Amino acid sequence: MAAPSLVAGLRAIVGSDGVLDRPEALLVYECDGYTLERAAPEVVVLPRTPAEVSTVLRLLAAEGIPFVPRGAGTGLSGGTLPVGAPVMVCTSRMQAIEAVDVANRRIVVQAGVVNAWVTNAVRAHRLCYAPDPSSQPACTIGGNIAENSGGPHTLKYGVTTNHVLGVEMALPSGDLVALGGAVEDRPGYDLVGLAVGAEGTFGIVTRATLRLMRTPAAYRTLLAVFESVDAASEAVSGIIADGIVPAALELMDRLIITAVEAAFRIGLPTDAGAVLLIELDGPGPGLDAQAAGVEAVCRRAGVREIRVARDDAERAALWRCRKRAFGAVGRLAPNYCTQDGVVPRTRVPDILRRIAAAAARHRVRIGNVFHAGDGNIHPILLFDGRDADEVERVLAAGRDILAACVELGGSLTGEHGIGVEKIGQMPLLFAPDDLRAMISLRAVFDPEGRANPHKIFPDAKVCVETRAPRRQAAV
Amino acid sequence: VTDWREIVGAEHVRPGSPGDAVDGVVPRWVVRPGGIAEVQTCVRATAADGLALVPSGLGTYLDRGAPPSRLDVLLRLDRLARVLDHQAADMTVTVEAGCRLDALAAILAAAGQWLPLDPPAPATTTVGGLIAADLSGPLRAAHGRVRDALLGVRVVAADGALVHGGGRVVKNVAGYDLPKLHVGAFGTVGVIVEATFKVGPRPVCEEAVVVAARTSAAAVEFARAVLDSDVVPHWLEVAGSGGLAEGPGDGAAVAVGLAGIAEEVAHGRARTLALAAARGVGAVPVADGTGLRLRLAAFPLEPAAAMLRAAALPTEVGDVMLAFAREAGAAGSPVRCLAHAANGVVRAAIARATAIAPVVAALRPWLEARGGALVVERATPEVKGEVDVWGDPGPGLQLMRRVKEAFDPGRVLAPGRFVGGL
Repeated sequence: MAAPSLVAGLRAIVGSDGVLDRPEALLVYECDGYTLERAAPEVVVLPRTPAEVSTVLRLLAAEGIPFVPRGAGTGLSGGTLPVGAPVMVCTSRMQAIEAVDVANRRIVVQAGVVNAWVTNAVRAHRLCYAPDPSSQPACTIGGNIAENSGGPHTLKYGVTTNHVLGVEMALPSGDLVALGGAVEDRPGYDLVGLAVGAEGTFGIVTRATLRLMRTPAAYRTLLAVFESVDAASEAVSGIIADGIVPAALELMDRLIITAVEAAFRIGLPTDAGAVLLIELDGPGPGLDAQAAGVEAVCRRAGVREIRVARDDAERAALWRCRKRAFGAVGRLAPNYCTQDGVVPRTRVPDILRRIAAAAARHRVRIGNVFHAGDGNIHPILLFDGRDADEVERVLAAGRDILAACVELGGSLTGEHGIGVEKIGQMPLLFAPDDLRAMISLRAVFDPEGRANPHKIFPDAKVCVETRAPRRQAAV
Repeated sequence: VTDWREIVGAEHVRPGSPGDAVDGVVPRWVVRPGGIAEVQTCVRATAADGLALVPSGLGTYLDRGAPPSRLDVLLRLDRLARVLDHQAADMTVTVEAGCRLDALAAILAAAGQWLPLDPPAPATTTVGGLIAADLSGPLRAAHGRVRDALLGVRVVAADGALVHGGGRVVKNVAGYDLPKLHVGAFGTVGVIVEATFKVGPRPVCEEAVVVAARTSAAAVEFARAVLDSDVVPHWLEVAGSGGLAEGPGDGAAVAVGLAGIAEEVAHGRARTLALAAARGVGAVPVADGTGLRLRLAAFPLEPAAAMLRAAALPTEVGDVMLAFAREAGAAGSPVRCLAHAANGVVRAAIARATAIAPVVAALRPWLEARGGALVVERATPEVKGEVDVWGDPGPGLQLMRRVKEAFDPGRVLAPGRFVGGL
């Protein structure tokens, strides 16, 4: 229970409809898309403006109270789990698109603006915001910045950090500071680059200046069906080796194909080993030649069948099954957990073998749907949350897979973040001196350690209730 | 007191001479470690002796930045020059900091790849210098900057610890993005010893179209028309009067870079020529687009009393060029401007030293008020003594001071070289 004086103070800042402290109202906030651990905050505060965020943080600073920032709660690593932080500050009511500069391809948005709204706001000008996580109809720009989110089209266009020019951040002291801005090349340390991906441990991003890009004039979207994931992986390597950089290069294995077909009935061959979703884009001329090149590579890799989207509707249908693949998995088991790891893209066949071995060893069903062009894997571990033993086996299999990623020269996470989920694995990737450097950077922004404490870095982790999840991960 | 010969061997230490000066400050020693462990020992020794060092590759860009407030050791990293691991199929490369860009480019080219960053003088620019000075060139219009290509670094910290950040894979959000801390930091928070970059396929064709314009405003207008068309320029430079040797003399010019497969390039060429024809201005196709781009990329090193660098919004490039011409003219100096038009970056080569302070005084407040900047990129130590090199880095300065304090509390690393005297 939050102290009544604190609740009253918060209400005075944001109004009574912006403060939640009844237990039933807090239930929603006890986890994000990572459902294996839960902890409800004592109070949730929903400011409507950057100034209100600043005032809220000033109040918390005066009391020395730690806080956890939250956007839409679609994160997959437990980054918004309140651990040792009684107050949750949600940016979801800060939804203003403040300025659009079409000529310079910039947009200024508040942190609670949903990712997909950005492109919707500028589509008529043939502009778009490139990072497109699968959760883009729900996730917020503030959350994207905290996690440095990716998406299928990052292979060609980069992740969030490549598209954020400036952020306004409320520091834990309550000070609002504008870092970077619409102009490139301002001198000084790249504080914007450091703030992106800091998982809310520097403060709360309140506004951002984003770079927009020209919407590609033309697309070629292909679905290639292979007998095995090895053959599909060979095609991925072949495409890259031919000097083609597709806008997206996504792989789904048999388990996922089966789930997607059951859900969407688009005629995917459920006996195939793997399908690749390949998208090329650009101004138009030369795209056919590139598509022919991709088809030739796929044929060399022994492709069974290639389908080419004939129009926008077919393209949209292909993407729908990719972006909703996670949801389709819901048909296969009561619960699932999406892992996120990275390997050098040539090691994709190796990591898939290691995933299969982990599945067998821990008796867990695992499907794979992932960004093959980036080597960014997303094994989906199926389980029944009512089976405590199976939950333990899922967690163990996840740990084995991440350890394998690191062994193969990769990383613990490509786009979901460390959060609470992967704290224990950080020492696999970083030596004590590396971690010390990061922790000293955090202290620059948050000397008292009150912004999203007990995240990213292994410390004496406060005990969190681990139990069977009640709802599916929202992807 | 350290005997540097014991660390790196007598043949790799010499007393500093005027030729080694960093913005007029002559180091006491020039020390060339032969490996990461030796770099660590050198940094520890410098700190233990209460001295200060400036990291350097081949010294090509040591006249950028503010003069160091102290300098004892010029730590040359040019012996760490290996390409450690080029994974062509992964499109990544890991190199030592002292590796020259031309040497790296040759290895990548053998696999049909490149690191699409094109600062001037690749034969005398090292990877460490590229990162520390955040160098860029015309290709940034399509490929971004160092911050967009850098995946990982290994850095020797001020206490001698070897710290790694990022990794060797193209996508990675484990922990903070420490590589970004070192980009453009002028060695003030660590000595970069190794870096991993994302690389890409080198386009098979590169051409250009040069378009004449009567004024720089007209040139900028044409550049904007290209950006708004369905041409996807690989690079887009706008030259003011005299800024482009290929240009039309007194007028301004636009150089539109086109790259990709032959069909794409042919389409871009035809569309650009059509845009020029519709405006009734002259346009010349240039078959050797790479050659032209490299000449344009070399502009920042051209002889001048000073090279100034203005940062503004892309739509403001014409105004900035006009303002340079006006203020330099008022101060009695010729000026030549070349802009990365898609990025809002204008470089101005000021011919006369006496014009530099008045031009900076006139333009800097105007640019900073609009969220931009004016940096004295290159000038003599005398000029740098009179003019603040960096200007105001904005409201983040307080945090930047704390970054420096956190990473180099003893001010061992390039003290005074960076913004705000950091």
